[in-house]
Amino acid sequence: MELLTGNEIIVKAAIAAGADAFFGYPITPTTEILTHWSEEAAKNKGLIFLQTEDEIAAGFGVIGAALGGKKSWTATAGVGHLLMQDPIVMAESMRIPFVAYIGQRGGPSTGTVIYSQQELSVARDGGNGEGMRLVLGPSNLQELYDFTILAFDWAWRYSLPVIILGDGYLSKMTGQVEIKKGIRTMPAKPYLQNDRKPINIRNCYSLEEELGQVLHRELKDFSEIRKVVEKSETQSCVDAELVIFAWGSVAGAAKEAVGNLRSEGKKVGLFRPITLKPFSETRAKQAVRTAKTILIVESAQGKFGRLVKEALFGLADIKIEELYKPAEGIMAAEIEARVREILS
Amino acid sequence: MNEPRFPKCVKVSSKPSNFCPGCGHSITLKNLGFVLDELKAAPETVFATDIGCSLLAWDYFDIDTVQTHHGRVTALASGLKRALPKSNIIAYMGDGGGYAIGLQYLIGAVRRDDPMMVILVNNTVYAMTGGQMAPTTIKGENTTSSPGGIFADEEPLQGPELLATLCHEDAYIARTTVDNQVQLQNYLKKAFATQKSGHFAFVEVLSYCPTNWKTDAKRTIDFLDHLKQTYRVGVIHGE
Amino acid sequence: MANNLKRILIAGEGGQGVQAIASIIAKVAHGLNKKVVHLPNFGVEQRGGVSLAFIQISDEEIAFPKFQDADIAVILAGRAIPRIQEYLSAKPLIMFDNSIVPEAKLEEYKVEKIAIPATVMAKERLIPRVFNMIILGALAEELGLKSKEVKKETLELFKTKIAKKGELKHFNLAALELGEKTIKKLKNG
Repeated sequence: MELLTGNEIIVKAAIAAGADAFFGYPITPTTEILTHWSEEAAKNKGLIFLQTEDEIAAGFGVIGAALGGKKSWTATAGVGHLLMQDPIVMAESMRIPFVAYIGQRGGPSTGTVIYSQQELSVARDGGNGEGMRLVLGPSNLQELYDFTILAFDWAWRYSLPVIILGDGYLSKMTGQVEIKKGIRTMPAKPYLQNDRKPINIRNCYSLEEELGQVLHRELKDFSEIRKVVEKSETQSCVDAELVIFAWGSVAGAAKEAVGNLRSEGKKVGLFRPITLKPFSETRAKQAVRTAKTILIVESAQGKFGRLVKEALFGLADIKIEELYKPAEGIMAAEIEARVREILS
Repeated sequence: MNEPRFPKCVKVSSKPSNFCPGCGHSITLKNLGFVLDELKAAPETVFATDIGCSLLAWDYFDIDTVQTHHGRVTALASGLKRALPKSNIIAYMGDGGGYAIGLQYLIGAVRRDDPMMVILVNNTVYAMTGGQMAPTTIKGENTTSSPGGIFADEEPLQGPELLATLCHEDAYIARTTVDNQVQLQNYLKKAFATQKSGHFAFVEVLSYCPTNWKTDAKRTIDFLDHLKQTYRVGVIHGE
Repeated sequence: MANNLKRILIAGEGGQGVQAIASIIAKVAHGLNKKVVHLPNFGVEQRGGVSLAFIQISDEEIAFPKFQDADIAVILAGRAIPRIQEYLSAKPLIMFDNSIVPEAKLEEYKVEKIAIPATVMAKERLIPRVFNMIILGALAEELGLKSKEVKKETLELFKTKIAKKGELKHFNLAALELGEKTIKKLKNG
């Protein structure tokens, strides 16, 4: 077990996954990912590093390098995440692997440098298309390591943008992690300048029907990929009267809360999505089979809430409670207090 | 009967081209094709286009081509070159993509001396969107966003000169025109050699746009001559 | 350290070494095979501004890096006090530097308090900047961490600075010892 900060863990995971090119722009709370990678690249000439003029240049650098056969990636947060949507949609439109770690911080605008869960919608759907990207939500440092490696595999396996949606707490905290080595991920290959005929690739069409056909094909492919990658987990839902819905760091607090409440005899469970896109609607419905109430908890004003409600649509007998604290951390004690209030 | 010369690396389907009659893009691209043929460089070249009329070149060449977002082709090229150090990387754009939305990526590339060849076709308007003002629009020009010449009172952006203040001594920066194809080809050849030797190369090509200038044949040629009064044709940095 | 879970909140101003103190404690706890999590919490200023550190040491997995029920709150600056009200729900032991934080500011907290005049002690007996190591020495003693481990991790953390200025080694170690001695004296009366 090593004692490391989240940002250090992300870099170690990327290297373990075979990443060999990083383009980025400094922004709190992810700056140390860029600086640690630059230290690695200074020692190892096989690693590419470029600090770009802004996050847009970082994203397009990532795409250029991926087209050339590198396992490239970036990291950003907040307003930088907004700028990153420009290159992300290019990767989405042309099925180019793209990995980005996002360290959510307070918003809107420059908000805080600290923490939030307010970038969920941007990560899932921040583009100008159909949002064909995969989003993973780690809830602790070990998952930060494991899911970063997973992201690199998925991006090259499914040729899609994959976002590791963390937050400022995960990025900045120091804690213990097992650095697993020798994990194999899908290798990268060059799309251009390889031994095949030259290719001409574009993402801009003249006629709506042309684009319509492309989207139809891509959406079909995405719906197959969804089924394979969607992941979630539950805790104590089997006989639960109330199920908490939480994701990312908040799921950590919720786990602690469920443990404490169960030891008081309260029949409480937790549903926690691991992939925020695709969201496991089927499993979410299964998790609330015995429940009369759900409590949606997030550090945003209902972004996750809307996702949950959409997933559970049709379950008429379930009451929905909400614990929303935009841009602020939510601790186990707060969740417990709210559950006791609801169940009393 | 003698067939007119046509570059081998240009697809047969590109003739006639997708560009408007009288467009400078087809002249520039054809000459680039001749250069790539002569240097036998096509198989090891990646051609990247911006958005604007330049995007219509996405299917022009029988070489690896990527069309990217408006203003982002230089940033894409910087990534491509780092992954494909042995390939020739050409970034193709217009005056809007290069000097407005994409200017800072050009500045980054020239400061880093990224080995790439940038070809910027400058017709002093945003042509694909119907003829708005561009950073290179001459003062007082009538465009669809400066009706009657009002609002067109900004200093015209001298791109090669700006980049020349930031370039490596072995970089190559030049401005040519579509009405001097011998010079155009020469400058493209020099630019190609510069990127191949590991340095940044930039060629601005002054061009016509009769569709958006709304000029007949004679006034089109006159207007190009008029641009040459503001924009100096020649090698700005290098030899 | 016998107890299962310890929650320590350190609060001060940016530049006072709040995160350095936290980092050393985390490293010592990690070396003892405890589970440990340290979360820094601060704003945009590189200096000044309020800086908080949340540390948890436990035998079991720690679920969330922040908490409302600190067992010990260490206060190094008066302006940090309003910012930490919500984290003091479990009536923690408050350790504070009474040479720069007026006792009066903490009057409303009816809890056990340990006052260590670290800033004045450092200025008079060592060098001003090691005041935070006096606090660390006292805090480590309160937590039951062996001074040998604390010294080792402290020297490791500051090794680059010590390489440039050799006498810092002496001052840091002396500060740790002074803090340990001071709290022992206070507790034994």
